[in-house]
Amino acid sequence: MTLSASLNGAEQRRPSRLGRMLEDRLPYLIVAPAILILLLVGLFPLIYSLIVSFQRITMTENDTSFVGLLNYAELFRDTRLWASLGHTAIITAIALPLELLIGFLMAQLFIDRMPGRQLFVALLVLPTVISPIVAGATWRLMFDVRFGPVGEILSFIAGEPVRILWTVNPAYVYPGIIICEVWQWSPFMFLLLLAALSNVDQSQLEAAEIDGASYLRVLRAIVLPAIAPVVAVACLIRGLDLVRIFDIVWALTEGGPGSMTETVSLYTYVQGFSQFETSYTAAISFLVIALLTLITTLVLKRMELAR
Amino acid sequence: MRVAKLLARKARILALRYLGAGVVTLMFLFPVYWLFMISFKTPDEIYHVPPLWIPGQIQFSNYYVLFKDGDVLAILNSLIVAGVSSGIAIVLGTLCAYSLARFGTGGENLAMWIISQRMIPPIAVVFPIFLIYVYFGLVDGYFGLILLYTAFNLPYVIWMMRGYIVDVPLELEESALVDGLNRWEVIWRVVFPMVRPGLMATSVFTFVFAWNDFLFALVLTRTEVITFPVMLTHYFGGQSNFWAKIAAMSVLGTLPIYVAVSVMQRYLVRGISLGAVKG
Amino acid sequence: MKLRTFLGAAAVLAFTGASAPAADKDAADIAVEAAKKYAGTTISIVWEAGLQSLDPLNYSGPKWEKLTGIKVKVVEVPTDQMFTKIMQDFKSGAGAYDALNVIPSWMPDLARAGALEPLDKYVDKFGYRDELQDIAAAYRDNQMQYDGKIYGFPDDGDVMLLYYRKDIFDDPKVKDDFKAKFGYELAPPKDWKQFDEIGQFITDKMAPKVYGAGFFRTAPYPQYMFQERFRMEGGKFFNADTMKAAVNSDIGLKVFKQMLAENKFMPPGVEQWNFVDNLAAFLQGTTAMTISWPPYGRWAAGYGSGEEALKWVPKSQVAGKVGYALTPLGRPELGVGFDLSVSATSKNKEAAYLFIQWLNSKKTSLERVQLPYTLRDPFRLSHYASEKYRGLWPDAPAYLDTIKTSGEKGLLDLSLLQQDKYDEAMTKAISSLWAGEDPKAILDRMAQQFDAITDKVGVDNQKAVYKVWAAKPGAYPQ
Repeated sequence: MTLSASLNGAEQRRPSRLGRMLEDRLPYLIVAPAILILLLVGLFPLIYSLIVSFQRITMTENDTSFVGLLNYAELFRDTRLWASLGHTAIITAIALPLELLIGFLMAQLFIDRMPGRQLFVALLVLPTVISPIVAGATWRLMFDVRFGPVGEILSFIAGEPVRILWTVNPAYVYPGIIICEVWQWSPFMFLLLLAALSNVDQSQLEAAEIDGASYLRVLRAIVLPAIAPVVAVACLIRGLDLVRIFDIVWALTEGGPGSMTETVSLYTYVQGFSQFETSYTAAISFLVIALLTLITTLVLKRMELAR
Repeated sequence: MRVAKLLARKARILALRYLGAGVVTLMFLFPVYWLFMISFKTPDEIYHVPPLWIPGQIQFSNYYVLFKDGDVLAILNSLIVAGVSSGIAIVLGTLCAYSLARFGTGGENLAMWIISQRMIPPIAVVFPIFLIYVYFGLVDGYFGLILLYTAFNLPYVIWMMRGYIVDVPLELEESALVDGLNRWEVIWRVVFPMVRPGLMATSVFTFVFAWNDFLFALVLTRTEVITFPVMLTHYFGGQSNFWAKIAAMSVLGTLPIYVAVSVMQRYLVRGISLGAVKG
Repeated sequence: MKLRTFLGAAAVLAFTGASAPAADKDAADIAVEAAKKYAGTTISIVWEAGLQSLDPLNYSGPKWEKLTGIKVKVVEVPTDQMFTKIMQDFKSGAGAYDALNVIPSWMPDLARAGALEPLDKYVDKFGYRDELQDIAAAYRDNQMQYDGKIYGFPDDGDVMLLYYRKDIFDDPKVKDDFKAKFGYELAPPKDWKQFDEIGQFITDKMAPKVYGAGFFRTAPYPQYMFQERFRMEGGKFFNADTMKAAVNSDIGLKVFKQMLAENKFMPPGVEQWNFVDNLAAFLQGTTAMTISWPPYGRWAAGYGSGEEALKWVPKSQVAGKVGYALTPLGRPELGVGFDLSVSATSKNKEAAYLFIQWLNSKKTSLERVQLPYTLRDPFRLSHYASEKYRGLWPDAPAYLDTIKTSGEKGLLDLSLLQQDKYDEAMTKAISSLWAGEDPKAILDRMAQQFDAITDKVGVDNQKAVYKVWAAKPGAYPQ
């Protein structure tokens, strides 16, 4: 690394031999504890799961003989699985940009000096902080046709009684889920972007203002590039989490009506937890991991190219 | 004249911003308000048609019951487990992130492997982890959960902090090193303060992720270390729905995080970049 | 009587009394006596979280500890997690659970997997056979054994009842109008045609204050209603020879269409209703008829309304106005239920067994089903006849009699290998029904899913189990 090379020559203090050894090894030392923990809790279960996916362990059978790709072959015939992947893709593709946009707008709103801003920010974090189970359940109650305020508000706006069955009507189940999800996680983007925006070089911004650059120009040329690393990671993290979305969907629709809103994590849950198809669930999980790895790699490659 | 116009314009913008802030906050907080109100409602008010916007009276009996029955212990458990695991994850993770950002340790492969941990559907690993924990006697204990959540959150911390650290200008570190500081001191005294906003944002969510985890807490605990989300699900019965308890417990459960966030977010936003200030 | 004869007789009596099989003594007392030697130990029992757990937490656990010195650790588990946790504990060999609560339809799977301890030898050792006979036949003969061995004690008299508003049905004006329109007396519906007529009539007359009826329509319970109605219309779940699913027959279609059509006279949004939504509506007087399990009856009567634990139940506006009847066509679904079992990996099997014998015994269970906050419904003949219970509220005798008859006429839940998979298919199908999908398409898909499950389990395996199930008197109406 050029950095280390350039810095080595600049060091003037001569530390002890131990100190020097530690210093040389520093990069590895400081990653070691984290990596160790990850290995402990992350690697073994994965390997175990991988092995299991090549066996035939179900609720009642403990057939640990190697059956090769039997489970994986079954994956391809499983229409319900592919449907669930589709459902997950829909939710992710709609919710993520929405969260990003809303979060960004909110951050823009609050970034400049504003007395009392702290109060707003602290309040706005609340949705994210609530357990997703409760968020889902609360929205379910709010969407309820008889006891919930959403219907009342909509009726008030529309001037006539509005009776939407958000958790049953196929046309409204996705909007319902997405509303709840975006409500809960836009503040996440908001907070992250706020922190990132606060680090944008003030001198550059002032220079641009003096030059009379338009708001959009400033945005594109200075702000976005500056916050790009954080945005990218935020999207990655949030995207991965969206793919694993569970609690909200479970609380609102339980994957219904039928299997219409069943996301891949719901389906995996049902297979793994209710039906104890241990081996098959492992296979599904690895499929998901493979897909996610593929997508993430592609995304990261694009990020690299952009830089 | 021009100054007056400029000031007036700024004042108008500020007023608009307050308005916008108010509206946005209202919209986001409304469901929270609804939940909060439920914690004071009687069952007849909860199931009232049309919905009641304000409960008949503010009564704390729902909260009292949670204390009396000891359900509140779940919040204490969550505080311990989420708090300790977040603390460890933040420290270890940020150090790791520094190494990745500045030294490129392990290159892209390591970084990819770390983020890939977050791609693993929890379902895939929860039962094997349960098996390991049974073997080592870690089930239903604090240590096991703390270890798990730390591992759980490390990828998030590492990746987020790497992004924030990358933003810190290299010159700052270089000049500090030239000044005679060793790498450790550079990390703690130069970099950490610079990434404080990012650190705070990351800590908040690290804590929240650990706090809200349901699946692992469910499988890895039985009776001794029941955490907040698991306690909550006890209230969603097939043949009963303790809405008042759910709401009251949720309010209690968000209080600690709310306090933490309020404290954190004072450091969260420094309008002016600290870049020019370091001496 | 001559002294010698008397002494001889007394001696004989004393002798036989002393060595009599324990059956002469109260099963509860026997259990307590035998358990005392385990004093100081702790046994754990898995119980449904929330309201259900109050029984062992507040009543039976402490009482048992007082009597025997054994501590009871209640492991509360949300309902939809119970099966998972039991299985996981079993498969991991952790052996953390001693006694279990098990839903009867899980029994084949759990027993086959080896997770449940066969109880026959304990039953004989501790003389429980007699009191087991007191359990109502519907539960005793269908929820206790698998493959000829006892794996659990039925502990909950779940059965569906029709609840209706006596005050509306007895109102002279309503009665006259109804008779005028339909030509027969207004009374609890004997079949589903009458149900529709009555329901629509009441809605036409009294909506939006009162609607003719309401049901829970959302997972996981409506599938029990389907099971009942499908069979009562003559439907068979499977072709007994080929084991191909027969749910998508014309009968299935008829039932689906009926169920869909009913929503018309039910309150708007009924498709979203769960157990508690339906309860709230009935207790608030919004619906004139509903079908549900026995707890509705107790809560509607206001029994236990002062209890802290029942605070979440909306205040009953209909106390004293509720009548009880058999469901239309007269053979109600039993629906769910609970058994007490012992885990095969427990390290304290005998202690665990003694606890469940005591819980399930005539004496203790009578107390337990009368707890104001209980979800355990009467399940013993001695419960139905209990003077104490019958005195709990004015209509309690009618309530108990209806439960008893309903149990006698009850239809069994379908219970095959991997039953929860079939249940899931039914549940999903019903939710699609409310979503407006074509009923025939839904049924065809459900049949397909059934067949896929059967294939996976093994057609021959399943055929054998189905044969046994279908032969039971409560499986198909004769």
